[in-house]
Amino acid sequence: MEEKKLTPQESMELITSMIQSTKRRVASPDLRISVMWAALTIITAATAWILLSTTHNPWFNFIWFAIPVIGIPTNIILANSRREQIKTKTYLDKVSEDLWKCVGYIAMGLTIGCFIAQQCGYQQAWLAMFYYAFIIVGFGATVNGLLLRESSYIFGGLFSIFSGFAIIICNLCQIPLLYSWVVPLYILCFLLMFIVPAFIISRKIKAEEK
Amino acid sequence: MKELDPLLHSQLRLAVMSILMNVDEADFVFLKEKTEATAGNLSVQLDKLSNAGYISMEKGFVGKKTRTVCQITPEGRKAFEQYVEALKEYLNL
Repeated sequence: MEEKKLTPQESMELITSMIQSTKRRVASPDLRISVMWAALTIITAATAWILLSTTHNPWFNFIWFAIPVIGIPTNIILANSRREQIKTKTYLDKVSEDLWKCVGYIAMGLTIGCFIAQQCGYQQAWLAMFYYAFIIVGFGATVNGLLLRESSYIFGGLFSIFSGFAIIICNLCQIPLLYSWVVPLYILCFLLMFIVPAFIISRKIKAEEK
Repeated sequence: MKELDPLLHSQLRLAVMSILMNVDEADFVFLKEKTEATAGNLSVQLDKLSNAGYISMEKGFVGKKTRTVCQITPEGRKAFEQYVEALKEYLNL
């Protein structure tokens, strides 16, 4: 392309062709980060579930800290490598990125709050992290699904939100929250919120490329 | 009839503005790929658009490589919209 004067007709054609060429999914969503968090959460939850139900040793609850300890540095590495690859950003990419940043900040704030509560002798405060994972992360997945117009994200997110409220209701009604059903539900939610949509989206992208 | 903005009425500058109207930001490499322009020519045209206040350019680093990110400004958006309106008049659309 050169610096050439155009006729009005040529100008219109050029505008149309440029808009069309950038409309074709210029930036596919980065599935690696969400899949990493989901896989890490699922593996940690499954490990904690197996160890706690077989040994009944409460010290194994510390396994949950593997999520931020492994997740945050891995997230930074993946985000940096993405920055090198990315050439353009749409408004939706920015909104989606900011949405997950907010979800992350809430997690950090809540972790600090739970830690303070624990130091004050309220160990059960850590239950708030479960509500966060079900409801706030579920809300994030739903909004992400609405932005990307991906119904599997919306379904997974709503399923998680409803599961979170079901757990709150159980807690209010003093129905014991047993590891035997809460953790498998938690794992199922993360599978539905992130792993299944990532699988569907990657298949769609591959089909589009073909 | 409205006059066509001479700054936008050029093939490469119009192509860049059309792309930037459609994305929030785009880097130099992306614009070069989409417009199939030479780096030198694209750089000159981007400077012209930037000097006119139609786009903003941010130069930074990703690792050891330099990266120039371009964004359309509100002024540029307005100029582009006026240009398209003027085009429509010319073409009786």
